[in-house]
Amino acid sequence: MRMIHTDEVLNHLKDRVLYFGEEFGMTLPEVRFYILDGLEFASLLEKRVYPASPSNIWEGKRMVSKKYRISEGMESSLYYEVVQTGNPSYAYLNNTNSPMMQASVMAHVLGHCEFSELNVLRDSNPDRTEFVMFLVKKVNLGRHQMGEKSFISYWNAAESALPMMAPNSQYNVGRAVESDTVTGTGTKKRVEEAPVTPSFYTPLSSTLDALLRPRNDANPYEREMKTKLRQETLSRRGFRLRCPCQDVFAFLRYYAPTTNAERSVLDYLYTIHAPSDFVVRTQIMNEGWAMYWEKKIMLELFKERACTGIIDYSKVFSGVCYPRPYYMRNPYHLGFHMWCHVEELYRDGKVSLDYHEEKDQKAKDAWKRESGTQPIDAMRHLVRTVTDYEYLRRFLTPELIHQFHLNRVPQRDVARLGISKRDVIQEDRYWVWLNPEPIKKEMLKFFTHFYRPRIYVIDADFEDGGLLLFHRDDGRRLKANWIQPTLKNLNMIWKGGISLVSKNTLYGYTGGRYREMRIPEVDFEVVVDRMRDGKKPLVLD
Amino acid sequence: MTLQSIPFDNDRINSDESEGAFNEFIEDQLSDLIEGILTDGDLTEFGERGSDLIVELDDIQPPSFVYGDDGRGGGSGGSGPGSGGGKMSFSLPFDKLMELIAERLELPDLKKEGRGKIKQVSYTFKTFGQLGIILDKKRTFKRVLKTSIATGSYQPQEGIYELQFRRRDRRYKLPQRVERPKYKAVVFYMGDISYSTYGERLELEKRLVKFIHNWLDYNYGPKAVEHRFFVHDSEAYEVMPEDFYRVANAGGTRASIVFDLVARIAVNEYDPTTTNFYGFYFGDGELFADDAKEIVTIVEEQMVPIFNRLGVVEVQPSRSSHLNTKISNRFRRDKIVRLGELKHKKDTIEVIKKLFGERN
Repeated sequence: MRMIHTDEVLNHLKDRVLYFGEEFGMTLPEVRFYILDGLEFASLLEKRVYPASPSNIWEGKRMVSKKYRISEGMESSLYYEVVQTGNPSYAYLNNTNSPMMQASVMAHVLGHCEFSELNVLRDSNPDRTEFVMFLVKKVNLGRHQMGEKSFISYWNAAESALPMMAPNSQYNVGRAVESDTVTGTGTKKRVEEAPVTPSFYTPLSSTLDALLRPRNDANPYEREMKTKLRQETLSRRGFRLRCPCQDVFAFLRYYAPTTNAERSVLDYLYTIHAPSDFVVRTQIMNEGWAMYWEKKIMLELFKERACTGIIDYSKVFSGVCYPRPYYMRNPYHLGFHMWCHVEELYRDGKVSLDYHEEKDQKAKDAWKRESGTQPIDAMRHLVRTVTDYEYLRRFLTPELIHQFHLNRVPQRDVARLGISKRDVIQEDRYWVWLNPEPIKKEMLKFFTHFYRPRIYVIDADFEDGGLLLFHRDDGRRLKANWIQPTLKNLNMIWKGGISLVSKNTLYGYTGGRYREMRIPEVDFEVVVDRMRDGKKPLVLD
Repeated sequence: MTLQSIPFDNDRINSDESEGAFNEFIEDQLSDLIEGILTDGDLTEFGERGSDLIVELDDIQPPSFVYGDDGRGGGSGGSGPGSGGGKMSFSLPFDKLMELIAERLELPDLKKEGRGKIKQVSYTFKTFGQLGIILDKKRTFKRVLKTSIATGSYQPQEGIYELQFRRRDRRYKLPQRVERPKYKAVVFYMGDISYSTYGERLELEKRLVKFIHNWLDYNYGPKAVEHRFFVHDSEAYEVMPEDFYRVANAGGTRASIVFDLVARIAVNEYDPTTTNFYGFYFGDGELFADDAKEIVTIVEEQMVPIFNRLGVVEVQPSRSSHLNTKISNRFRRDKIVRLGELKHKKDTIEVIKKLFGERN
């Protein structure tokens, strides 16, 4: 690993890229560039883009198999770009790339850095890399305190909980858990219950008011008991579940009984894995934003002849932005074209009430009006306010889906995917184009579950101190032979009974014993309601 | 933006420690697999003379709540990693595999005699000095360039390109003596072609021969071992390795003649003081009455004094097999002559231990 100033050519290119970034008014943190060789790059990726990590068999496994794949020619050791955003941001360049490619990587990185600074999910974090380095030291200290064997066991157990991480969910730990202490960085602002002000006059016709602020008709005795129960729980355990908590890992991190060493393992794993939730929720906007700025800055560099090879760059660009069917999600392609489209909409003043209310199609087609705001300002406002879901919901239309070829499927896959002729609107020798209408809905569905089971903590005092997890049903069954080992691993972290409700079965692991029990199915909404009412979400007969 | 130093402790990003941790984990798994490889595995996949072996293991993954069909095996749970149902491939170096086998079966290193005292001498050019015969032009030129820049005789910015070759800038390659002990080994494989070597019998024999082949290659180095194959029915003759399992004949059998032939070849064609001899006999053990007696005489008088190891293995012996019974009276606790009986696949490990294990 060496710093960029050791390479004169790259250092000059970096200065030019940063210069244009500032010229375009980008909001940039301090960006530090480093140059790595191929294997360092591969290793960095396996460390989740932090230059050091505590040793663990999973990273080792991925690295060994990656080296094997590279040596067998099954994988190329060339990677495009790697950046750890934050302030400062750390960007890593692969020394095997040409200067032109390095310039494009640097421009791309600037896009990511700005997105991280501006986005609605508040991804940018001061000194993220340094903080992780600090945690690595803590974990290594913890390893000595715990002893190698227990450390490995605990780490491997914590790996089981990693997919259950949802810091940006509406049921994240900050919203779901009421606590008597401030729980740290993962917790959002505490939501205080507003004092109930007696309403002296409620107009009968106000439907909205009735819906939003239902009158509290509960029995004063019950209300009093609920408050008492809440206070008792808080004073006894230090926390109370207000509603289901989807960020199971964060819950365990804050509320599982742990030693300092164990806590450092959980802290480390959570800190390095939590940003993946941001990535998955904003991938299309983020990659599109980076491609948008990359192209803009690169064109400037080519104009002033700071680097050469525009034809090669075009080839790489079109390769990266190659359209893929909607279910394969190429965020570079979709994101880039969406941002270009949005820029056009704002430039022509088409994001306005007038345009929407215009009934004449001809006038709409020829619409070109100054809106008063610069398109780029409007685009930055979008970055500050929405994530992929809302972005696609607002701007992706069936016409665009067809235009971007998101509905284009290779002929050879038609039979395999079971596509019926009725859904095909166009075809040639190599491709078929599907009806774009239902595709948007399909794409938006992704953001509700991200192809992962949704698991929530719904009770932290189930059957005498046990943790009760709930699998929110979406028609699919969990992999049955992984349930027991996963519960066993979670049991090691919670140090108490662990149970999981999935469909009509209650799986439990307590005191080294595993059990499965048939129970009546419970809806997620019922669980939420019961928890809101201060009742136990699940009571066994 | 200012220039920063690298804020991390290490100046090179690597996953060495994690790979080490993973390899340790895999070694534990592998040592459990060794028995499987020896009894059930296809030893012909060992590769030719010291090449790597591709090993497939069940993939490991941390178990978690996921969708999908039930994988094979399932997560092992608790502290251990789970199994994902897929496969992981590794290339395992031949030496590493043999090391693991030796460790697992508690096999000692083979005793190397003879030319171990004789050193194989070679020279490598690793050091460089101011005096010598072979001039290292690249190093010399680098020093000349440095000196010329320092003395100011080489100033490209001024258009002066004069290089001064001084005597003290010259660098010569110096040979360094490297000594390695030199060993040589000859292995004689003797097979009885009068019995029906086909099907399982042939497989058992092949498996054992392959192991012996690899084990000696590993101990002496592949280039230092000569493997020779002999067969007999009522006559004994040498065959090519590929014909060892192919030739077959029905009829009477005299094993003593093959022992006699091998003993004569060992003395006549090699220098017994500098060569390590190994002999392995494979047969069904059915012999003429006086054959065993002759074998005992040949082994005792001609072979034991010069051979490092002599193995007699009865492969799937029948009721009338009595070779081992007869000669075991004489060689029951012998350090050189080892007897084995290979009835089933699972006996392979036991036979290997008998042939190569320690005996006090």
